Amino acid sequence: MAQAVAHGGGHVTSTGTSNRKLMMWIFLGSECLFFGSLIATYLIFAGDVIHRGVGPFPHPVTINGEHHEGILDIPLTSTSTFVLLMSSVTMVFAVYGAQHARPKMMKLSTLATIVLGVVFLGFQAFEFATFYHEGLTLGTNLFGASFFVLTGFHGTHVAVGALYLASLLAASFRRNGLGHEAGEHMEIAGLYWHFVDIVWIVIFTIIYLIPSE
Amino acid sequence: MATIAGTLTQPASSGIWSWITTVDHKRIGALYGVTAFIFFMWGGFQALLIRTQLAVPHGVVIDAKLFNELFTMHALTMIFLAVMPLGASFTNYLLPLMVGARDVAFPRLNALSYWVFLFGGLLLTSSFFFGAPDGGWFNYAPLSSKQYSPGPGITFYAVGLLILGVSSLMAALNFATTIINMRAPGMTMMRLPVFVWMSLIISFLLILALPPLTVALLQLLFDREYGTHFFIASEGGDPILWQHLFWIFGHPEVYILILPAMGIVSEVIPVFSRKPLFGYPAIVFAGVAIAFLGWAVWSHHMFTTGMGAVPKTIFATNTMIIAIPTGVKIFNWLGTMYGGSLRLNTAMSFSIAFIALFTIGGISGVMHASPPVDMQHQDTYFVVAHIHYVLVGGAVTAIFSGIYYWFPKMTGRFLDERLGMLHFWLWFFGVNLTFFPMHYLGLLGMPRRIYTYDAGLGWGLWNMVETIGAYVLAASILVFVWNFFKAMSQPQTAPANPWDAATLEWATSSPPPEHDFDVVPVVRARDPLWHDRDHGIEPAQPTGEHIHVPPPSYYPILIAAGMTVMAMGPLSHLALTAIGAVIVVYGIWGWALEPTE
Amino acid sequence: MAHAPSTGHQEQHGLTPRQYIMLGLALTLITIVELWVSYSGMARSVLITVLVVLSAVKFAAVVAFFMHLRFENSLMTKFFVGSFLLAVAILFALLGLFWGDLQPARIALEAVSGH
Repeated sequence: MAQAVAHGGGHVTSTGTSNRKLMMWIFLGSECLFFGSLIATYLIFAGDVIHRGVGPFPHPVTINGEHHEGILDIPLTSTSTFVLLMSSVTMVFAVYGAQHARPKMMKLSTLATIVLGVVFLGFQAFEFATFYHEGLTLGTNLFGASFFVLTGFHGTHVAVGALYLASLLAASFRRNGLGHEAGEHMEIAGLYWHFVDIVWIVIFTIIYLIPSE
Repeated sequence: MATIAGTLTQPASSGIWSWITTVDHKRIGALYGVTAFIFFMWGGFQALLIRTQLAVPHGVVIDAKLFNELFTMHALTMIFLAVMPLGASFTNYLLPLMVGARDVAFPRLNALSYWVFLFGGLLLTSSFFFGAPDGGWFNYAPLSSKQYSPGPGITFYAVGLLILGVSSLMAALNFATTIINMRAPGMTMMRLPVFVWMSLIISFLLILALPPLTVALLQLLFDREYGTHFFIASEGGDPILWQHLFWIFGHPEVYILILPAMGIVSEVIPVFSRKPLFGYPAIVFAGVAIAFLGWAVWSHHMFTTGMGAVPKTIFATNTMIIAIPTGVKIFNWLGTMYGGSLRLNTAMSFSIAFIALFTIGGISGVMHASPPVDMQHQDTYFVVAHIHYVLVGGAVTAIFSGIYYWFPKMTGRFLDERLGMLHFWLWFFGVNLTFFPMHYLGLLGMPRRIYTYDAGLGWGLWNMVETIGAYVLAASILVFVWNFFKAMSQPQTAPANPWDAATLEWATSSPPPEHDFDVVPVVRARDPLWHDRDHGIEPAQPTGEHIHVPPPSYYPILIAAGMTVMAMGPLSHLALTAIGAVIVVYGIWGWALEPTE
Repeated sequence: MAHAPSTGHQEQHGLTPRQYIMLGLALTLITIVELWVSYSGMARSVLITVLVVLSAVKFAAVVAFFMHLRFENSLMTKFFVGSFLLAVAILFALLGLFWGDLQPARIALEAVSGH
């Protein structure tokens, strides 16, 4: 009857899952709606651009017998997609290392994840700069607006994730490392990182892989 | 900060610094409540100006520009800065007590939610100095574009709502986690008080409905400041997209506003009827059903945009179906009162008034669920009557019921019953006097959001009646404020359970100690205190175990300040956003490294 | 989860390092197949279907195994899958509202009412 229930550090909870992990999963549900709304906007406008005939266009398209090149560089972005996918694999090993008391594995994998994330952002910066020089800006047409806002906010999520992991990596060099909850800290950061990766899986398919009519 | 149970009194810490650094859900609840009530009176003052201008034809009290700013800011203030945070105030204060926890899951995050709300509210309100938003609270394009609203008002609207959304999202994540994960032993989901159930539903509605609004606000911000044309039809954009994204949020939002009220009423009515709530599972599932259906009705705000027959039919049907779970709830409350021994004090009177007034608002809601009827109601005072019956007659009336009911628990003092009944009757007559004639005016064709009207239209009488009603409402609020200060000057005489209520918050002292419960209660039934009373079960004695209370922290207010600086970037210079981001990151580092054990 | 090289033991918490690498390789492979499909010039409806199915498999594999959702309390699966499905439902509703514009329905209605 008098059993103590310690709610404090998330040790004993009603569901057996820690508060932090539960909250992260619920938060990722919220993020689904965020990116869902951005993707809906993109899909609504990407086709409209062709009907209005105001380029640049995402994919090669023929309008009134005139052929227009697509602006998207699919081989380039496939490479950056591969980089982000690999960062998910290294992230898994960072979590694995933290959970199995292998700090060296954790630190190296975290570092690799951060580097891969930054490389992905580098690809994106290059892509944005190229588009800008080719005449696609936020204001050019609705493809530009919805493309930059969607991929830009995804990039922001990658940047936040890289900063998050860098903070954890820096903290892991303290005397106590990440403390007795190191595995959980890394796991929750990993949830966020993987989510950003799966959002890119969707974006890559919808923006890059599906050609225009 | 840890101390021994049983010997613990209220912490010696007081003064402004202890409030700034507090992470105690009860203190944060009090901060939410007081702040939101001040915003409520500010929003009410704006309404009085509006009503004074409209009292007679060709009013000359304020000009058209200020009128536009006032009706926009009145709605934003009342919805985002008053009614939502008043609900959050109750949730903050009561949720851990009701589930038998010692605090919310993330106490510092809770403090952060409050400070972000406060700063966001101040940021939005400060727009009056620079040119307030003037496009109405749903801010339709193209009125929201730079072309038609060149001042900074709409940008204030976008960043203000974005930052308030962050606050609401953090609070909702915190509440949802607390309810799911921090229930006392024996507190199963189907034993949760209905107020807690409604809080859980609201939390999920916020978590899922805020992102579409966030996206719409970001697109609006980019349209205005960074050269995109999402909502500019002449450049290939689509103003209807704003309407869809806004109402995908906006319709769940009205349930976010009304469900706390339904939760409060579901707590008050059983206690003052001396009967357990009639049909507990039905009322819970009705709440879930309302939230679920609430996702598939948003376009009923947009019937006049020309959607085609099929979507109109779908959205109209779904909207009408929502009347069923709502009706279930109303009959559950009536069934609870039926055959009970009613105590018609102030709290109970407000709850009963809620049922009546909310039903009127609900019925007019079903009326414009029908597209042909809605085409007539659109943008007339009939719609204004509907939303005010639901929000003022519904949500705010129930909030007053909750204030009178939980005041002894929160402060250890009682609000005066005679002043309370005066407050109640002024309020009840004021609501009907102000808002019922709006039905007539709407059907007579008076459009909403006009700053004056011609004498020959025959609208003068009812407008005058409404203005008188608005001043009656103001008087009732003054009576309440008087009552509040009178009560706060009294000694703390309230016992732990003055109303002989059934839920766990009444198992601890009034006001509760900082750690809420000396012993975490064990729950054996849906009405735990009545069950224990009837079965002669005495509360467990403190064992002297070590109770951990989270230490205070100044990082929440620091991070909130950083977020506000970030939000000011689009209004002035983007460098501010960068500086704010640095403050936020620094604050999060400090937060993460701060010891909490 | 037809695709992932899981042994599917419920007690097991996560995969082994070797399995993670295999899964990473499989995901890369799917991405290459997707690229090939994208350039294959097959009929648009088929192409879109194949691509959506393939990326759904990738999505599910990352969520289930990299994010451990398969090994967690089922409550979190309900929350996440529920939120995801809501997002998809709203997406399709919006696309229907914007793309369809429901001209066929309107024409049919006008035909019935004799205009």
